[in-house]
Amino acid sequence: MNPETEKYSKVVNILKKSKPVLNSTTDIEREVIKRISGSYRTDRGISGAIEFFFGWVYIGWVRRTLITASVLLVLVFIYQQNIILKQIKYLSSQATVATEDKLINTSDRIEKKMMLYKLGGRSLSSEEVTISSGQLEQLLESVNELQVQYKDLLKLIGEDPELKKLVEKKMEENSHKKTKL
Amino acid sequence: MIEKQIIDECRGGNLNKFRILVEQTSPIAFSVAFRMLCDEDQAKDVVQETMISIWQKLNKIRSAERYKSWMYRIVINKCYDQLRRRKKNPEYKADDKTWELISDRISEQPSSDLENEETAVIISQLTNRLSPKQKAVFVLTELEELSVDEVSEITGMSKTAIKSNLWYARRRISEMVEKYL
Repeated sequence: MNPETEKYSKVVNILKKSKPVLNSTTDIEREVIKRISGSYRTDRGISGAIEFFFGWVYIGWVRRTLITASVLLVLVFIYQQNIILKQIKYLSSQATVATEDKLINTSDRIEKKMMLYKLGGRSLSSEEVTISSGQLEQLLESVNELQVQYKDLLKLIGEDPELKKLVEKKMEENSHKKTKL
Repeated sequence: MIEKQIIDECRGGNLNKFRILVEQTSPIAFSVAFRMLCDEDQAKDVVQETMISIWQKLNKIRSAERYKSWMYRIVINKCYDQLRRRKKNPEYKADDKTWELISDRISEQPSSDLENEETAVIISQLTNRLSPKQKAVFVLTELEELSVDEVSEITGMSKTAIKSNLWYARRRISEMVEKYL
């Protein structure tokens, strides 16, 4: 054993032998018990209150009844949700059809009124016109046909300069204005 | 050995039995805490805190046989906390006069054990340059005479880590002993 180890062992042995002495075990004991019993009482107080308010849930038949009731409530809830979803689906499809109809009707009616306004001139109010839808369609078809024929006529006149001059002359005579095709 | 019956009754909330447990085990806890902290008041505080933790967590202990190592673990962790807090305040360094006094006291071959104060000064000076882990390994292995397995269970360190920390602590302390005593 070298001197260094010897010295080390000596010191360690002395320290080992000299166990620290706790003189005030009772003080520590009293303090610990005091702190514990304080918190223990609080714990007991809280748990007592919880037991008083919710302790009844541990009674067997109450528990079983509550479980059954909750299962029933969940089933009713699911059933109601299904019905509500179906209703929502049905109503949303209805709403779409109604809207589309309305739009079609509305746009069609506006178009027809505008056409009548154009044909009748500014003096004719669209609200005053009473005409059946069949007559209206017939009228519009005639206007379209007339427009096509007018275009063809203009084309024919355009191709023949002599005819063009003749027509212009006739129109000038009728309207007393210079007209150019 | 702590009786299993006492621990079981403490688990059931028996404060009188816990009083006995505190009485039996607080000196052991104090010994470790004092050797770790080298301060009687702080060691007493650690013992108190440890006992309160034990009361609160007594249900977590798996078997009565493990009670002692479990208690050591709580003490060591609380000591670590104290040492960490202490880092902010610079450690008192002994002058040559203090070393002379220590040297004289040790070379006297004391027939009686050292007083707490003397033990505190010696351990404090010898372990001044050790890390908290090295100090814990030194105290538990060399002074409390626990086996490497027990120290491993208490500190959570591997056996290799314990051996290396112990080797380093021994070397450091030997250097101090050689230099000053």
